Amino acid sequence: MRSAIPARAGYMLQPRTVGPIALTDIVRFAGAGGDFNPLHHDAETARAAGFPDVIAMGQLHAGMLGSWIADVFGVEHLRSFEVRFAAPVNVGDTLTLTGEVTEVDASASPPVAVLSLAVKRGDDVVLHGKATVAVAS
Amino acid sequence: MSRISTEQIVDEVTFEVERGKIREFARATHARDQVHTDPAIARASGFDNVLATPTHVVVAGHHRDQRGFVESLGLAMERVVVGKVRWEYFRPLTAGDSLRGRRRVVSDERREGKRSGQMRLITLATDYVDGRGDVVVRQSEVLVERGERP
Repeated sequence: MRSAIPARAGYMLQPRTVGPIALTDIVRFAGAGGDFNPLHHDAETARAAGFPDVIAMGQLHAGMLGSWIADVFGVEHLRSFEVRFAAPVNVGDTLTLTGEVTEVDASASPPVAVLSLAVKRGDDVVLHGKATVAVAS
Repeated sequence: MSRISTEQIVDEVTFEVERGKIREFARATHARDQVHTDPAIARASGFDNVLATPTHVVVAGHHRDQRGFVESLGLAMERVVVGKVRWEYFRPLTAGDSLRGRRRVVSDERREGKRSGQMRLITLATDYVDGRGDVVVRQSEVLVERGERP
């Protein structure tokens, strides 16, 4: 196992920008994850459901957020990760993955940091997230 | 409409955690850490094989019939959205793991929605258990069924 990195409450993570999201990104995730709901690859189905075009599956940006946190802290140090979907993501959207350490439980061994996370499109939050990760003391 | 009894197992999947699928999923989610893709780097980091990305168990979608599952819960597919998902990790998920996931109902609630009448919220939990019987990852999800518009 690799060493955990240190973290303190108030620490802002360097954001990651992804996109613009292409239909290919959505289809690639569909193939990787096995989500073949036509809403995510068939424009006619999406329009009939009231969307202007196909929308991304929430698990696409949830997965991007999780992988980003794992890149920063090391996947083996992740204790929990949760997401709440706020708005659909469309083809052409550019997403910014953001996070902040809100608290560190130093009494735990190893210490555990709580992260408040968000996926944003401009100023709009499309996904709210939270994670706990083991960090160095 | 009947309520689903809690702790009822609603579906079950078994699958291998494959190196190639980890790579595909890592690429699709823009992971950069080579611990997901390079076995030499994974071994140098102290692991037997490459590690899966945090939401890897989503690949269970390949082994599930989502429509049949939603219908078995008595939900209308076109009115269902996933509200929240949570993963809890007990050890890193590693290529070569064999997983069995049993999805169970944790709660089944009805609430008055603001615009569309009564909503139904079903919370499900899946323990992904390895070949030794230990839980590796627990996934919880809340499905929201909007009410039928008047």
